[in-house]
Amino acid sequence: MEADVVKSEMVLPPVMPFKRVQMGDKYQKGQSRGRYWKHLKQLLQAENFISLPLEEPNYLNIESPPSMYPSKKYCDITGFEAPYVDPRTKLRYADPEVFKRVRNLPNEHVQRYLALRNAAVIIR
Amino acid sequence: MGEIRIARQTDYDLFSPTTPIVIDNGGSTFRIGWAGESDPRIMFRNVAFRPRHRSTGETVTVVGEHDPALFKYFDCTRSSWRSPFDNNVVYQFEIMEYVLDYGFDRLGASSSMAGKVDHPILMTECICNPVYSRAKMAELLFETYGVPSVAFGVDAAFSYKYNQNLGICAEDGIALSIGFMTTHSIPILKGEPLPEGSCRTNVGGYHVTNYLKEVLSLKYPYHAPSITWEKAEELKREHCYVAPDYPSELQIFKKEMKEAEEKKRVWQLPWVPPPQEEPPSEEELARKAAIKEKQGQRLREMAAAKRSQKITDLENELHVLETLLSQLDEAELPEVASSILARSGYLSRQEIESAHLRVSQSLRKARGEPAVTVEENTDTATSADKYPLVSIPDEMLTPDQLKEKKRQIFLKTTSEGRLRAKQKRAEEEMMRERQNQLEEGRRLENPELYLEELREKYKELSEKIDQRKRLKTNGNGNGNGNGTGNGNNVSGATGRGERLNAAQRERMRLLTTALFDKGKGEDTFGLKDEDWQLYKLMSKDTDDDDDMVDPDEAELERVATKLQEFDPSFVGRAEAELMQSTQEPPRPRALTAEDYQVVLDVERFRCPEVLFQPGMIGEYQAGIDEIVSHSLRRLPNLDISIKDRMCQSIIVTGGGSLLPGLEQRLETGIRATRPYLSPLKIVRAVDSVMDAWRGASVYAASELFSTQTFSLEDYNEKGEDWLRRYNIVYSLYD
Repeated sequence: MEADVVKSEMVLPPVMPFKRVQMGDKYQKGQSRGRYWKHLKQLLQAENFISLPLEEPNYLNIESPPSMYPSKKYCDITGFEAPYVDPRTKLRYADPEVFKRVRNLPNEHVQRYLALRNAAVIIR
Repeated sequence: MGEIRIARQTDYDLFSPTTPIVIDNGGSTFRIGWAGESDPRIMFRNVAFRPRHRSTGETVTVVGEHDPALFKYFDCTRSSWRSPFDNNVVYQFEIMEYVLDYGFDRLGASSSMAGKVDHPILMTECICNPVYSRAKMAELLFETYGVPSVAFGVDAAFSYKYNQNLGICAEDGIALSIGFMTTHSIPILKGEPLPEGSCRTNVGGYHVTNYLKEVLSLKYPYHAPSITWEKAEELKREHCYVAPDYPSELQIFKKEMKEAEEKKRVWQLPWVPPPQEEPPSEEELARKAAIKEKQGQRLREMAAAKRSQKITDLENELHVLETLLSQLDEAELPEVASSILARSGYLSRQEIESAHLRVSQSLRKARGEPAVTVEENTDTATSADKYPLVSIPDEMLTPDQLKEKKRQIFLKTTSEGRLRAKQKRAEEEMMRERQNQLEEGRRLENPELYLEELREKYKELSEKIDQRKRLKTNGNGNGNGNGTGNGNNVSGATGRGERLNAAQRERMRLLTTALFDKGKGEDTFGLKDEDWQLYKLMSKDTDDDDDMVDPDEAELERVATKLQEFDPSFVGRAEAELMQSTQEPPRPRALTAEDYQVVLDVERFRCPEVLFQPGMIGEYQAGIDEIVSHSLRRLPNLDISIKDRMCQSIIVTGGGSLLPGLEQRLETGIRATRPYLSPLKIVRAVDSVMDAWRGASVYAASELFSTQTFSLEDYNEKGEDWLRRYNIVYSLYD
């Protein structure tokens, strides 16, 4: 290891004296551990909240309902109020000058603006 | 957010095994320290990274933030910073283990000989943490670190307790905790949180920073590499604020009022102005001028040489022809003449004479003398002679002569036509000359007015042409749409028949009448050959306008050239369109300091607005002001007076609460959901970031803490169901 790396101690040593089981033994090298851990969605499915009494609060229970205020539409580019939508790209815009900029955007930027609003169509 | 290099603590051994270690396991930051202390010893970003070390090839682990310069020793392309959290729940326990390793190590645990972490641990989690996550965490602590006992608590509750003890809030209240990925509103009754009344919305500090980063990167794509996550966080911390009323704040900027200028912040990126080219010195200029002179002279010499060459050639040719002519004159016998002719290659004497004439004329032109227009005179003089038969009436001629006459009439008319055309052209030329002179005169006497008039005319003409083009493309677009179903119709939904011109309307009509089902139920178009004659009736796609030289466009060209000559500020239409369609600044204009500036005006308050209107990022949930009302609504059994009391003691805690203007906005928001004139008081926690850990530390230091922990045996015996219902009592030290 290079001198400054060692000095900064940024790398975790493979053996830690305060552990009963070291990382190297627990997780064999070379195995892909990405699929091993359940993501939140799977966690919640496994949790089986339906079988539990409804009154008891659990992770899903306490989630917020949709907002009671109607969502305001804001321009994707400038942030002002946007009464208009571009039919071709489905971006919202505030006035004609912004519309020019909307039409001149490269496709990648259009997708990124939509993704910001969670409105991009993802084609897998 | 903590120093880059965290020093390892050395006093680990000084603490007895009964001293709990307090861990605030937050979505953005991991804080660890000893119970009873006022500050955590170690704080770092709750992320781990597994790059490959370049020289050895092994995969190593790095936790938290480090000096970015050191990362050059590692191959950072295949891996990325990973967090153990998914939303606000720990799911990735391998990374959690790395983080805990680092935390314990820096706390000094590596110096102990115990072979395990021999202290009780108090760890924070989110409210209503799924039991799977809790179980896995307990397992990790017990089995890998050998911890004797563990307790889990909610960070927001600890923060509330801490502030309650400081007198900032009352026994009953609401804790509004704005975290990294989520925000919770937790009602507190008699010092204990009510999970059944809590409400969570999935927006937090992460969403604000991410929004800021994306919006700036899209607004300044040229500077996108400089707008990193860390920079965005820094900008958010320094410049973002919450607007007291979002629509009116937007109006300030939309109308570009004076306040907008004051609220604008400009981030100047580092840039280096290009080195100034020194103006060339005197000698340079003189040298360059001399070189140009020499080149010019060389060109002139070459031109002169060519010209003299041409003259000598022509003279030679003339000489040859003249000798031929003289030979022909001298030749008395016709055979000699014809043999001379055959040798020279000319068919008759007249040819030689005409060639002679041509050559002498070009010679004169080359020499620079005025050309003598002999042709026309000869033509007109001999017109009567050339066409002798024309004047003789038909009856007197033989068939052959008649044919001859027809040919002569044809020749005469064509040559006369040509003459007339030439005369008309000459007249037009003279007229144009006269007009130009008039314009010149006008321009010289009043340049300003002249330019104005020109510009007016230019604008009119260009508008007319644009309009006509628009009509044509609309008409063509509609017309093409019939046949090909062109989806990119520029005009959108216009009535089909409106803007088609006559030809296209006719075509439509023919097509519809042909295709109209005459009631037989079958399409019989095309069975008979005559049906296809329909297409002959339709005119072709109307391109005739394009064939004709548009008089308006010609006029426009003329005016444009004049303007270009005289008006320095004139920009041609084609160039203007080009400039509008490109987004980058037109090159090669020199880059100025302004190009390297990132302006934050609307973004300053637009990004924190995400907390109040999650719809801006596509999350259809309530904003942080609304969840307080949801949370109260979930406690129907509580008395109104209690709810009122709670609303008088609302604490805002968590990292996201540091935004200026937040409390004021929350107050307006929450007041809107409460009954008219009910009491409302919102206070920010003393230290929104640290209070959770501090509250936990105070809690762990109390004597009764050990009654709230559970050990490995407890966990094994009592099972998962018990773990689900496990909740500590927060008011231990009343």
